[in-house]
Order: sequence, then C-alpha cells, then structure tokens
Amino acid sequence: MTQRFLSNAGLAALVTELVAAHTRVIAPARASDDPEQIDYVSIHKLEDAAIGVRLPRRSLKELFLPPSEVLLYYRQTKDGVEIREVPTKAPPQVILGATPCDVAGLEVVDKVMGWDYRDELWFGRREATTIVSVLCTVMDSTCFCTAVGLGPDSFRGSDVLLVPVTGGYLAHVITPKGEALLQGHGADASEAMQAEATAAQDEARKKVEPNLATIPAELSGWLAKNFDNPVWKTIALRCHGCGACAAVCPTCHCFDIVDEHEGADEGTRRRNWDSCQTEKFTLHASGHNPRQTQSERFRQRIQHKFSIYPSRFGEILCTGCGRCSRSCPGGMDLPKIVGELIAMSQAEPEVKNQ
Amino acid sequence: MNIYQPHLMRIQEITDETADTRTLKLEFKDPSVAEKFQFSAGQFGEYSVFGEGESTFCIASPPTRTGYIECSFKATGKVTQALRRLSVGDTLGFRGPYGNHFPLEEMKGHSVVFIAGGIGLAPVRCVIWNVLDLRDQFKDVTIIYGARTVDDLVYKRELEEWAQRSDVKLCLAVDPGGETPDWKGLVARIPTAVETAVTTAEDSFAVICGPPIMIKFTLPVLAKLGFPGERIYTTLENRMKCGLGKCGRCNIGPTYVCKDGPVFTAAQIQELPQEF
Repeated sequence: MTQRFLSNAGLAALVTELVAAHTRVIAPARASDDPEQIDYVSIHKLEDAAIGVRLPRRSLKELFLPPSEVLLYYRQTKDGVEIREVPTKAPPQVILGATPCDVAGLEVVDKVMGWDYRDELWFGRREATTIVSVLCTVMDSTCFCTAVGLGPDSFRGSDVLLVPVTGGYLAHVITPKGEALLQGHGADASEAMQAEATAAQDEARKKVEPNLATIPAELSGWLAKNFDNPVWKTIALRCHGCGACAAVCPTCHCFDIVDEHEGADEGTRRRNWDSCQTEKFTLHASGHNPRQTQSERFRQRIQHKFSIYPSRFGEILCTGCGRCSRSCPGGMDLPKIVGELIAMSQAEPEVKNQ
Repeated sequence: MNIYQPHLMRIQEITDETADTRTLKLEFKDPSVAEKFQFSAGQFGEYSVFGEGESTFCIASPPTRTGYIECSFKATGKVTQALRRLSVGDTLGFRGPYGNHFPLEEMKGHSVVFIAGGIGLAPVRCVIWNVLDLRDQFKDVTIIYGARTVDDLVYKRELEEWAQRSDVKLCLAVDPGGETPDWKGLVARIPTAVETAVTTAEDSFAVICGPPIMIKFTLPVLAKLGFPGERIYTTLENRMKCGLGKCGRCNIGPTYVCKDGPVFTAAQIQELPQEF
C-alpha cells in the first residue's frame, strides 16, 4: 500500500479523464428530487459531486444488486419458449467518494453471493468496478461502524481511500486496481500531509466510537442459544413490518424471483429486493407460515445479521451505517437494540432452547 | 449462463393423481443437458412456467430411471395453477438439482420403512423406486402410506404394483370417514398404521414425509419402536426462491433448507430452532 497526494484539481482532472474514456463515474451528489438528500449517481465532472456532505440516503447496494433486475428474457414461440440470456460482464465503472461503510458492505455480501454457486451478475459488476472511498466525516448519533469492526477510515473493500487534507486529499492506495486508477496522477505525500490525515482519521473515529461499544464475538453464540428468549416478544412492538430497513441496508440482500409478462408472448424473469420483515416472505402455499408474527420476523433480522451470518460466513451482516434507524417509521433503533442484547448477554444466564 | 437461468424441458406425459394433484413427466429439450444431468434421491428443483414464475418441488422420479424426471404438484398458487394449464408437448423451465439427498449408500444392506401422508409420497416415492430398482441390495422394504380419503391417494397405479410384489410390505390407510365401501386398507391415521405395520426398528432406516402434524405424531411411535433419531430421515419444505443459498428465506436459524437440506434426520430437526 502507498500514500499519494491528490490535489482538488488533480482529482477533477482524473474524473474528466475517466469520463472522456467512457468510464462511468459514480459519486454522491445532491438528489434531483431533494437537494437536502444525497444519492450515488453518475457524474460528468467533479463539480457535479457532493462528497463528504452527508451520508447518501441509499447505500451502494443498488449499483450491484439493482432493486429490480432482469435475470432472463423469454419469448413464447410456436415450438415452445426461447430464452435470451442477460450479459454477466459489466462495463468498467469507478465509484468516487463513497463512505467506507457502504464499500465494506459489498465485501460482506460477496460471501453469500460467492459460496458454492457463484452469482455472476453480482460479481460481474464487482469486478468491473474500482472504488475510491473517502474518510467519513458525516457521522451522526445513529452511526456505529466502529462497533462492527469497521470505521470512518476503514479500507475494507476500497481500492483507494481518500482523506481530506489541505488543498486536496491524501490517497491511501490499497489495491492494484487502485494503483492502476491513479497511475500518472498525484504527487508524493509529504510527512506533514500524512500527519494531517492521521489526525483527521483519529478524530473521525472518536466521533463514532461512543455510539456503541465493539460488538463482542460472544453475541453470535448467545443469540443462537436465545432463540426462545422472551425478549423477542417485546423487542419488535414498534416494528410495522414495512421493510424500509432492508431497502436502505447496505448488506440486506434477500430477493424474490418473479416473472413479468410484457406484451402478448414475451417478458422477463426478474429478481426484486425483498424483506424478511413482510408476512409473505415465508408464507407456504398451504397457508402455513413459519414466521407468523412481527416479533418472529424481527428476530430473524437480528439473528441473521448478528448470529446466522457470522456463524456461516464469519462476518456480521451489518456495517453500522445507521440507515435502518434513520428510516424506520416506528423508531426502531438498531444500535440501541443491539446494545440491549449485548447487555443481556453479559448479565443474564442463558435461556435454553425449548 | 447465469445461475438463475433454467433449462428448457418438454412435457412428455401428464398423469392426474387426484382431482387437484398432477404428475408431469419431463425431458430436457437440449440432448447435451439430458446426457449430463444427474441427481440423487431427495434433491429438488425450481420448475417454472414462463410468465408466471418458479415453484419448488422435489424430483419425484428415481435417479435409477434416466432420460426423464417427474414432478408431482397440487394446484394451489399462481405457478402451480399455471403448470396445470400446460399440455403434453409444452415447454417449462427447470433449475436443479439442488440440495442434499437421502443416504442411499448408508441404507444399503439394511431394511427401510417408508412412511408418507398425502402428497408427501412424492419425495418418498423417489427413494422407494431407487431402493426397488436396486432391490437385492436392501433387506425388508415396508411402505406405509395414507391420505385423508381414498380419492386423495396419489400414484394409485404404483400402489397396486407395490401391493402385487412379494418383496414389498405395503400398508395403506385412510383417515376415518375417508374410506369407500370396497376399501381394503386400514381406516386409521398414520401413527396407528405405523404401530400396526412395523414391529421392529432393528437394522432399519425410516423415511417419512407428510404434513407436519403427521410427522409430529409419528416420530414418537418410531422412537417407541426403537428407531434412533439418526436413522429417521425426512424433508423440510420451506418456501424458497433461489434454491442456491442466496435469496435468504428458507433458513431455520443458521440452517439453510436449500443447502443443508431438504433431507434431515429427526435428530437434526430436534436441534433446530422450532420455527418451521
């Protein structure tokens, strides 16, 4: 890994060069429907971007797992059905100025997309993408990235991490992809710049750390043993089951597969985002539903993120971005809930499964 | 070809099992796919009607019979009703085989007791024929099958065939009130039928599929007969979309039914969180 200085003008030149070479550049920018909000969108020049203003309202997930994605095209013919495949190779793109929590989320989801059966639609986009993240300075009281082992300056999943310094950015060049992107750009970073960056990184971490202490590794096992703990009956009383938390989550990846007839004899098979918080998610054809109540569905959400995924993939399925808390109409506050569960796990003797 | 893209299959034959349950015999349209296709008893697939969607069923035919697969389904939802509208020669989609399978190798040299209720005979039938096609490699074969009424019994032609065989002990049962005047089988629920037909668990495996309530009340009977939980095999039938361990809906605690199942032992199921 190397460090380099990239001036503001230098970064602008890089964007212009990429766009001229027909590489799609995606960056946080003011939302077209609400200038208070930030979305990840395609930009044509650096001035279009709004980097380090506030956390984008949606994560990077939709760029790799679109809310509705075509899996195949079908056409009914005289002799049966014809299938047209969708390409799994994606055009090159660069993401610039993403927050480290969103970038880390992609690497967390890589695990489920890659085990045994490889999801080429996901990995096609992952491989075609170079990611330049930026030190997060826009955290608020619902952020808890440091509690899940990340942080506002986490390198996880990034090819380059930019840290704002006087006159531009100190670029931590993390991967060969990052090296390739910055080839011919930037200058040597002075010791003073490096010290300035380190101070900024330390300061950013200190702003998040008090929100939630590090989630202990033991929480996963405690949750597994406490499937029938009475806490689940009351913990989700404020949950409406709307699924907004899953939509904004950088790591929620559950999907539905449906066919859409489009015209007399043709259509698409699609995968659409889905959420374990809805009743239909697990409903059997017979009418039987293994998760009948909202408390059972919310238990699944917590268990999946903090016990099931860690036990299967060695990762917490959460990056601490806080979006679920911010978007919840019922005021469900994930860091608070997780904090309570941690306290219970450390205070109470375990409740055995029935 | 991405992992969600199905193979195309052609319907060779349609058999109506009951008023609402149908069996489709399917062949791959692409001969090179047909040639390479292999599966084991207990595995499942995603069957699709284009424009309607996908549904999850086991492969109901045995791997010992090649060149085709069969699925049996009850017309219940959007896809199964659409499947029912298809005719011989029509095309449908198939992805699979997915999931684990029954331990045929382990069962060889032993007796097998098959217990099924209603359409639960479909996954069991796959193993039954697998065993019967290799009959000399197994000891006693007992089949206990029941349904609510005589009309609800599926694979009737095969029930007759099994009844004729001297190397199969077949016990059929219908629920009280479901019998017809000429019914020769038992009028009893499955747990009672098992008590009547099975006398020993010695050197035996049990394979059981059916409604959850039937399984719940039959497991204690098997335990009383002396079947250890590790020798009782069943399948779990959770709602699925991908079948590949990605879409996140079939899990029971940390267990993914699509990847770790659908075949489980009674001992494994006892260890799961009770959410299925």
